[in-house]
Amino acid sequence: MMSDYAIETSGLEKIYRSRFRGREIKAVSNLTLRVPAGVKYGLLGPNGAGKTTFVKMLLSAVRPTAGSAVLFGQDAVRPESRRAVGYLPENHRFPTYLTGYGMLNFYASLSGMDATERKRRVPEFLDLVGLNGWGEVRLKKFSKGMLQRLGLAQALIHKPKLLILDEPTDGVDPVGRRAIRDILNQLTGTGVTVFINSHLLSEVETFCDYVAIMRKGQLALEGKISNLLAGGGYRVTASSVPDPAQAQIRRLGATFLPADRNAVAVQVPTRDEANAVIDIIRAAGAFIESVTVSTNSLEDLFIHATTSEQAA
Amino acid sequence: MSVIWALIADTFQEARARWLFWGLFALSTLLVLLFLLIVQVDVTAGAISFMGVDATSRRVYNIEKFVIVSYSWVSIALYIWGTFLAVFASSGLIPSVLEAGRISLLLSKPVGRTTLLMGRFLGNLLVVTLNHIYLVYSIWLILGWKTHIWSPRFLLAIPISVFIFAVLLCVVVLIGVLSESAALSVMVPIAITLLSAVLAQRQFVIRLFDSEWSRQLWTAFYWIIPKVYDLGNAMRQIILFDRQADLWTPVWTSALFGAAVLTGAVYLFRKRDF
Repeated sequence: MMSDYAIETSGLEKIYRSRFRGREIKAVSNLTLRVPAGVKYGLLGPNGAGKTTFVKMLLSAVRPTAGSAVLFGQDAVRPESRRAVGYLPENHRFPTYLTGYGMLNFYASLSGMDATERKRRVPEFLDLVGLNGWGEVRLKKFSKGMLQRLGLAQALIHKPKLLILDEPTDGVDPVGRRAIRDILNQLTGTGVTVFINSHLLSEVETFCDYVAIMRKGQLALEGKISNLLAGGGYRVTASSVPDPAQAQIRRLGATFLPADRNAVAVQVPTRDEANAVIDIIRAAGAFIESVTVSTNSLEDLFIHATTSEQAA
Repeated sequence: MSVIWALIADTFQEARARWLFWGLFALSTLLVLLFLLIVQVDVTAGAISFMGVDATSRRVYNIEKFVIVSYSWVSIALYIWGTFLAVFASSGLIPSVLEAGRISLLLSKPVGRTTLLMGRFLGNLLVVTLNHIYLVYSIWLILGWKTHIWSPRFLLAIPISVFIFAVLLCVVVLIGVLSESAALSVMVPIAITLLSAVLAQRQFVIRLFDSEWSRQLWTAFYWIIPKVYDLGNAMRQIILFDRQADLWTPVWTSALFGAAVLTGAVYLFRKRDF
């Protein structure tokens, strides 16, 4: 059964129990998420938020304690559901006794590709990731960036509909990161769903359409990045604002932000409210220092989502 | 089918890259050369002469018997040598595939966990089978060439050694899945092998026990633990044309043990989080 969603989880939960002490650690708790097919989706969260456990549950490497995960309408527990999935793990350990060609050939055969197809696609994908000429070299001679690109080729070689990347640029130099980004950009418009688990906000902000932020095993925030970042407003900074004027501004519903001594910085959502604040400040004889249009950054959202009590 | 072949080939490649395959063959070759050296210095003729048997006399039956006895003891030596080396060589091949970052990628493929583990198991078995064929066949050719007495029963050492290794490999797989420790994966099968030799003396040992409970416990252990010792002994007896030899009891009881342990290993592997 096909689905409009590449990934659908419902009440997904993972509790790790220590074998002898009986202690429980809730790594993922009641996580319900839907990733539409064909989008670029980023999963963010601080260390220990449960991101990797969540990804491993999607791939059935970790068994959920409760809830379900479905990939393109198929239960993720069934091996068949992974036929449409390409995966690049974090801290991968590719067998170093294999050559570049041998490694792609091996993982392609596990993905169900026949020998004729592999013979055609392996050189093609070595070329795609810029490793043409490295096919006969053993992996122990490869740099971190080269291994990462080869890993990407391994994840793409069977033309998956869902690509799951766990920290794809971790430990890679800027040139290598650029190369990986270029390869991923080639997937735009091909209908491939890209799901990136990363701690690099800028990577997610520039590449993804959707984002989910996890905190303590739960979903703290989720949505289309353009919508989430649109919630900005106007920021007015003034100096020597007397207390009665500040009280008047507060009554307008403005948010006071941290500012230098003798200065006041306030945030209001609309232009009219910004003008009202300016009128109050001017009427009180204080000085306007700056008026700026502000937008939310992903970093602001991340900090808010991962530190506020409501998010927990 | 191509998936299982890919997994077998990968295990084979890893065994080659880690020098386990070549190491096994090098040690087997060393044994073959040593054997060749021994027969070159005419130890057979010397031994025959020592026994007072004249090869040119009419007592040919005695020479044949002597050679067959030699065959039987050589088969035991190969059985012990081959089994121990094979267990040592295989110990790391299960834990290595369970390393984080390697197993998670394998599990992300559309391959069942049972297939993954069985591919590894069969790959291991193939490496050892090839080595056993090489070792036993070489020794058989040397013995046959030297004595002109060809005992096809000697070749029984190949399937029997491979069989008992397969049973011990089930233990290696279970310990590997449970502990991910190569050292422990060696220790347990070796301990089982030694234990089987002790338990096999049950007819003598149970007479020493006072209580019926102790006797039954010893007997129970004897039936549960794979019969490495008994199987080797049965093989020797068969090579000696001993009609009393009971090969099937140690085979089916050991096979049952291996099947139960492998089923347990697969069950745990399927349930485990990686």
